[in-house]
Amino acid sequence: MRKLKILLIGQPNTGKSSLLNALVGSRVVVSNYPGTTVEVTEAEKIFDNTKIKFVDTPGIYSISDRSEEEKVTEKALFEEKVDGAIVVADAASLERSLYMALQILEAEMPTVITLNFAEEAGKRGIKIDSKKLAKLLNIPVIPINPLTKRGINELVYIISKIKERAKRSFKIEYDDHIEKAINKISSQIRETSMPKRFIALRVLEGDEDFYKYLKGEIIIREVKESLVEHPKVAEDVSITRYGTASFIAEKVTQIVLLEKRPQPILPFPLKLGGNEPLRLQEKIDDVLLHKIWGLLITGLFVLAIFGVLLYLGNLMQDVLLGLTGRILSSLGTAEYSIAMMILVPGLTGLTAGISIALPYVFLFYLSLGLLEDIGLLSRFIVNAERFLKKLSLSGKSFIPLALGLGCTAPATRATRVLSSKKEQFHTASLFAFIPCSSRIAIIMGIVGFYGGIKLAISVFVTLLAAGLIWAFCIKKIVHIKSEPLLLELPLYRRPLIKNIFAKSWVRMKDFIYIVIPLLVLGGMSYGILNITGFTNRIVEPLSPITTWLGLPAVTIIPLVFGFLQKDLTGAMLLSVLGSEISLAMTPLQIYTFGIASMIGIPCIIALGMLIKEFGFGKAIVLTITSIVYGLLFAGLVWRIISIF
Amino acid sequence: MRRTGSPRPIRLVNMLKESDILKMVKEDILRILGEGKEKISFESLNTEIKVFPSFISKVIKDLEEESLIRIEENFIRLTQIGEDEAKDILRKYLVLENYFKKTSNEKVAHRKAHVLEHYISEEVIKNIKKLYTLKERGISLTKFKLHEESLIADITAPSNELFERMISMGIFPGEEISITNKISNGVVVKIKNKKFALGKDIAKEIKVIKQ
Repeated sequence: MRKLKILLIGQPNTGKSSLLNALVGSRVVVSNYPGTTVEVTEAEKIFDNTKIKFVDTPGIYSISDRSEEEKVTEKALFEEKVDGAIVVADAASLERSLYMALQILEAEMPTVITLNFAEEAGKRGIKIDSKKLAKLLNIPVIPINPLTKRGINELVYIISKIKERAKRSFKIEYDDHIEKAINKISSQIRETSMPKRFIALRVLEGDEDFYKYLKGEIIIREVKESLVEHPKVAEDVSITRYGTASFIAEKVTQIVLLEKRPQPILPFPLKLGGNEPLRLQEKIDDVLLHKIWGLLITGLFVLAIFGVLLYLGNLMQDVLLGLTGRILSSLGTAEYSIAMMILVPGLTGLTAGISIALPYVFLFYLSLGLLEDIGLLSRFIVNAERFLKKLSLSGKSFIPLALGLGCTAPATRATRVLSSKKEQFHTASLFAFIPCSSRIAIIMGIVGFYGGIKLAISVFVTLLAAGLIWAFCIKKIVHIKSEPLLLELPLYRRPLIKNIFAKSWVRMKDFIYIVIPLLVLGGMSYGILNITGFTNRIVEPLSPITTWLGLPAVTIIPLVFGFLQKDLTGAMLLSVLGSEISLAMTPLQIYTFGIASMIGIPCIIALGMLIKEFGFGKAIVLTITSIVYGLLFAGLVWRIISIF
Repeated sequence: MRRTGSPRPIRLVNMLKESDILKMVKEDILRILGEGKEKISFESLNTEIKVFPSFISKVIKDLEEESLIRIEENFIRLTQIGEDEAKDILRKYLVLENYFKKTSNEKVAHRKAHVLEHYISEEVIKNIKKLYTLKERGISLTKFKLHEESLIADITAPSNELFERMISMGIFPGEEISITNKISNGVVVKIKNKKFALGKDIAKEIKVIKQ
């Protein structure tokens, strides 16, 4: 059987996922691309003795854009054996889709263009001559509708024959001086499977990843120098490419003036108003982007989602803890045997992990995917940007920050949605102040339970204040230029639930394989340290810290070893102070303990994630600085309060 | 005409010199009519476009055949289709003009001017000059009213990367744009049925003219 690998490429919201569904039915396999969180979905179809593997890439606007999504698509395009590409074009904004199609054609990739939403565009008076487009570009162009399956069979047939088609490239003719530069660079390119003209263009567009294809340092230096001398070359290339795209789009697009058409006499009044749904869209946006309502709705949505997640998380932890308790007692082992002292904290880690994985990771990504697919997420990002900008953060950091309320580890990974490493790190540093579910559990379970709800709330408020001070200080010290707001707001539409489920499932699987074993290990290593008596040995040397915090000396044990497994903090405190915590500590001490255990990168797993994302040095510096800051802050606040 | 970055980079037909001139004259007539003059006499056309009158009458005949204009005694007037065509031409000039500005950094502009004087007609140069005044009339998008139709005249992108991103998203000189929502951190605009949220920093770099 022959094998083909075909990429699906398209701008965001052009209906790539629904096309994939229409192509292969239900057999969609989601796979994380090695080393990233940006998913690539794969699915196979057998047609005419050919196994066609479709690879759905993340939606991007252009392959020159330096975002994470773009890098994944580029990798899929060039670093693996690919037989062809389907460019999913949106009939309603053809030139924009053609812009990317031209880039793919410049890479001499065998390409088929599908015109999606052609019927919708037709209703709005936009008619596209697909035959003319095919002729101009010299490639097949197929109008499709994934919902009615129109054009799908034709597409599959053409794809199965893609190798038999002669390789044709489409040449955009650039300005004289650019053409000259292309020729010069082309003559200095190493032997590679990629077309030289394409490499030369990418080099001229300032993509340093493509320097590796150039022969020797001399040409690289020359290119760099001339790019400094003519900084507008990259702009020229994109303008010409867009000019070509819009020229072609104009040639094949016919605008019919809808208003001037005679209106039929209402046979089906509901189907008639082509503008009705659009007007509804506008109305929703008027509310969601309103200066006050929009903000309110965004806030309420986030709170509601986390309220539900928190509730489910606690419920699950209770059930699981009860279950493990019963299992342990049925084993009939003495409570203080060595095995139990290791097993119990390990099991606490396991239950904590499961009760984070299901609600926080799975349900969070599920709701995130739903919000994104419906079109709400981009509106929320716009609303959140108002505040985030004040902290030198871009609107997109809303996603990792919200995720941080669940678990810091996956949230650290999610910082990848931001484009610069600097911004990613800045966002990650705020995780020191965003209480994850385990830290929320400490506030509610220890501070709230023994000190009252008012005390718990004041811990949250203090945490917020500490975080804001931190963020403003960083803004003052390090100059971070946040990405300006430039976001497409897609039309609201019905979500593709199956795909969202599949993607959330993958994320949860990741979490289960990486984070849960670490939680178990962290708990068990605490158990071992406890048995060997090591935990008690740190009380004496670290007493200056507890003195600064005004806390009993033994509380250093939960403060330090909480880092191994945050969910054990409460249990550790109980075991060093006894169950009468309200007798052993004053309310002020409980409050101080709460703050001291709250602020900072919370645990060894989060640290591991930070190391993976930002390197050992940066991660360690951030972790230590944030913890020291937290201890200083807690000590200061306690002293200030005692004055009054 | 050698290509200059206007949206005509692929030469689908190998145009003859004469057909080049005819094409330019045709575009000029449409543009003059499209800039708001309801009708124009043959005489004033002859003074505004400096080519042989025989070219002009040939073009007018062609235009009528393509039903882009109507001839009424000594005047010509745009038809509905002609109006659309005229709008497109104006748009193309905006693109060309923007291109000029983008590449006009000392050395390049100098060399380009040298090359172009052999290829570009005086009329085109004149139009480019006209567009400069158009751009001066262009005002920042942030100062525009809600739901008012306008045309992007110019984008002064803060960085190459951002410029490329905006272009690939379809935010481009010559496109129709209107503000659908004013948000506290910027504006939400509509370009060809696509909506974009633009921060203040970006919105103020987009210069628009009233349609």
